[in-house]
Order: sequence, then C-alpha cells, then structure tokens
Amino acid sequence: MKGRERILATLDGQPADALPFMPITMMFAADHVGVKYLEYATDYRVQVDAQLRVAEDYDFDYVSVISDPACEAADCGASVKFFPDQPPALDEENALLADKGKLSTLKAPDPSSGGRMHNRLKALSLFKRRAGGDKSIEGWVEGPCAEAADLRGINALMTDFYDDPGFVSGLFEFVLELELAFGKAQIAAGAELIGIGDAAASLVGPKFYEELVWPYETRLVDGLRASGARTRLHICGNTRSILAGMGRLGCDIVDLDSLAPVSQGRREMGPRQVLLGNIDPVRALRNGTPESVYDAVAECHREACNRFIVGAGCEVPRDTPAANLRAMARYAREHGTAELQPKADSSRGLP
Amino acid sequence: MSQFEEMQQAIIDGKAPVVKELTEQALRDGVKPAEFFPKAIVPAMNEVGRRMRDCEFFIPEVLIAARAARAATDILRPLLVGDEASRSAGTVVCCTVKGDLHDIGKNIVAMMLESAGFRIVDLGVDASPEKIVQAVQEHKANLVAMSALLTTTMVNMKAGIAALASAGLRDHVKIMVGGAPVTENWARSIGADGYGKDAPTAVDLARSLVAN
Repeated sequence: MKGRERILATLDGQPADALPFMPITMMFAADHVGVKYLEYATDYRVQVDAQLRVAEDYDFDYVSVISDPACEAADCGASVKFFPDQPPALDEENALLADKGKLSTLKAPDPSSGGRMHNRLKALSLFKRRAGGDKSIEGWVEGPCAEAADLRGINALMTDFYDDPGFVSGLFEFVLELELAFGKAQIAAGAELIGIGDAAASLVGPKFYEELVWPYETRLVDGLRASGARTRLHICGNTRSILAGMGRLGCDIVDLDSLAPVSQGRREMGPRQVLLGNIDPVRALRNGTPESVYDAVAECHREACNRFIVGAGCEVPRDTPAANLRAMARYAREHGTAELQPKADSSRGLP
Repeated sequence: MSQFEEMQQAIIDGKAPVVKELTEQALRDGVKPAEFFPKAIVPAMNEVGRRMRDCEFFIPEVLIAARAARAATDILRPLLVGDEASRSAGTVVCCTVKGDLHDIGKNIVAMMLESAGFRIVDLGVDASPEKIVQAVQEHKANLVAMSALLTTTMVNMKAGIAALASAGLRDHVKIMVGGAPVTENWARSIGADGYGKDAPTAVDLARSLVAN
C-alpha cells in the first residue's frame, strides 16, 4: 500500500498492510535538509522540499504544511517576531486585540492575498503536483481557542473566560469564519486532510471547554468535513479533562499528547475513534534509545488497540536521533491492522 | 467566618474587588499589613495550588485567583516597613529565556511565588543571560527561575547559568528551571538546583531552595 492508501484505509476502518506513520515534523524536517527554520516557515518551496525528503527518508505516510501558530494572525495584522532558526512567534506584549474594542472592526484576511496564508496554499498546490497519490497531503488551521489566544494574547484570553464570556464568543465567531475560509481554500489547493491545532484548549478546563470552545470546534470540524476533507484534531498539553468532548467532535483522527494516556483516550472516545500518538517527544523519543522508543510505541498500540496511527505526542524535536525516529517507523511497518483486532465486546477498546 | 477566612475565600474565588475591599477594611480595623500574608494570602494560594494539582482548577481559575491575591499585595507591599519589608520569603528573578516568547507558565509561577511571599523581579520573555545577571546583581536576588517552552530555547538556560557563574554569582543564587520540554535530568545536567514540573511544585521547590 502507498502511504495515502494506508491512511485512508485506517480512517475507513479497513485493513491496512501496516500502521500509518504520521509524526509531526517541522524543525526536524528543516534540519534534515539543512535549511534555517525561517526559510522553512516562510518559503513554501523550501517547506515542500523538506517535507518530501523527510517523508521519503523516514517512510512517513503523509506530508504537512504545519509550521507555526502565527500564520493566520500575521495576516490579520498581529505583531509577529521572526527568528533565524526557530518558529515565528506572536508578540503578546503587542497583541492585536489588546484592546477588545478592535474586534468589531477586524476583517478576516483573504487567504490568497499574498501573505503567510497564501504561502501555505502555494505549498499545498506544489505538494499536489509533487507528492502525487503517494502521500496524504495535510493542510493546517488553528482552532478557535488557539487562534483567539494568538489575536488577543493568551494571558488575557484566559481571564476573559471569566470577565467577558460574551467577548470570547464574539472572538470565536470571528476565528471560525477566518479558519473555515482558510481551510476551504486549503482543500481547494490540494489538502485532503486538515489538521486543527487548538493548543490553548487544554488550558481552560472542562467547564469552559464544553460551554465555549467545543461548540466552535464542532462547527469548524463540520464545515471542513462538509467541504470534503478529513479532519485531525491536535490539542497540545494535558487534555485528560476534555477527552470525551474531543471524541464527540467527529474528527477522523484525534491526536493525544503524551500527558493524556492512550488508554484513557480509548476509554472516553470509544473503539471507533482513530487515535494518534502519543509517546513523549522529549523524554521518550528524543532522549530514548531505538529499543525504548519501539517499546513505547508498542505500549501506545496496546492501549489503543485497533484504529491507531503511530506518532509522537507532539512535534518531533529537532535533535531527535535518526535511529529513534526510524524505530517508530519500524514499529509501524511491522504491524498491520489485522494484528490487533478489537474484541467484539470491548467497548473500552482495550485488548 | 473571620475576616481572614472571608479574604481567603474571595482569593480562591478570584474576586479581586472583594479582596481589595476586605483588605482596606481590615487595615482600617487595625490589622497589621504583615499579618495578611500568613493568615490569608499564603493559605489561599496554597489551596489554589492544591486545586490546580488535583485538576479542580485550570488556568483561568488560577489566573483570576492570582489577580485577586495581587489586589491585596498591591495595597500591602508599600505599607510594609522596616523588618516587615525585608522579611520576604526571598527575591526571585523570573524570566522566559532568550529566544522564547511563551510566558503563561512563567507568569503563573511568578504570581504564585509572589502570593507565597516572595519578591518578584519579572524580566518577561526573551531574557538574555546578561539581563539575568544584571537583575540578580541589582536586586540582590537569592533565586532565579527560568522557563522555556521550546527544545530550541531551553539550551539558553545553560547560557544563563554560565553567565551567572562568570559573574561570580553562582554561589549566591539558587536556580530553578521549568517548562514543557524541561526534565529533572536536564535540570541536573545544566547545573540547575531544581526542576519545577508545575506551578505548585515550583512554589514548594522555591521554598526549599531558599531554606537550604
């Protein structure tokens, strides 16, 4: 099977010759081809070259346009700091919506207007020409909580949940419109899978997640799915208190960061949810040995049972030993989905 | 409910205006400024830390509680005189290290340390080793707390420690580090004195480092 076929089979509940292998690589990919991260994050040709090379050399089943959280915010006019060799980052001291009143006049940018969002669309078009049908092509948007934090400043947004929930809803409405337009443009440019990164959602706790964040995540997922894309949810951090809600979104893939046990994810999301993850990127993947990495992936697989994709809890750190990443690939390739079938009576999904 | 119990509850509930009002009323009633810390602010923030550790509180709750505590400390600090003023738990230089702009974890640690009675010198984000050295010298700090969210920037913790050593300050300050990619082993390998895996742990660690 080709990587793309392997992923689609797994998402559709069909047997596959191996487990899909979909680790997030950004700085690792840039280093792999010897380019500075600034070039990777801002020049689509560099990113596409690096992603195709790293995917080929480590046998990934997909390529992705994910680069940093500041893409959409930059095009909205937010102050972003660029560094020579690490991801661009929002300048929170000068947050675009430090003054909440500015929300009413803020306009969602046109994704094709020549900015950072446009760069991402160009990457997808080039991926489509170069990756052919071999690798799955993933687009990427920020989720409502993450993008709201990028625009408002994360510290301010967290207290807004108590001080001004009406403003938070209004900001989420703006973000939803922005991200749906961006996601649809990415689908049109060649993405068949859209990753939704909503890191800040892990900070708010179950009450605000259910009341304020989840409804907007649901609308985003529904809108992207209605446009023909598969969806992947990635929430960094400790998501243990919101796992059930994440499972109810209907995403094709839910990533688990290393702080949320796979066994709990399976228990709370049921046997049909495709789970991706979740070995600790630093402690297990970067600092481990090929043998310990292989064993850690095996444990995730055991806890997830079937419907499982191999990956780390978050981005593969840039200085991860090549042999450790290859150990993950080896595990994926040695385990077809027929090997760990869910028990018929296993509503908890444990083998 | 006593005045201090009422104040503790208002801090835990994140009600800054109530805390301000209670503080002012208690001062009018003759309560000494230094009494508020052991009897209201520190126990309240200890409870916030416990709830955070037990996943009863999340970041919004912690931030509004810390803001409420600050409503009291902002009034009380200028009123502390003589021995009271210098009797803080210690002076901590807090920062997110050079090249890193992520500050919510550092901010929470700083606010909880402040509520635990430490004097805070917050250097913000993207703090160079030179800036850390200068702040330690200027404020006679006895603790440095460095944060990083990225594997690419955590190496700058090592540079911060090296700069303190070069300036002859290493034996005068304790150093603690934290942040998502940071581990106990990493802290030990760069010569830090401790690793705080979360904000409540960082407060306990700071207390023990200063006590030793």
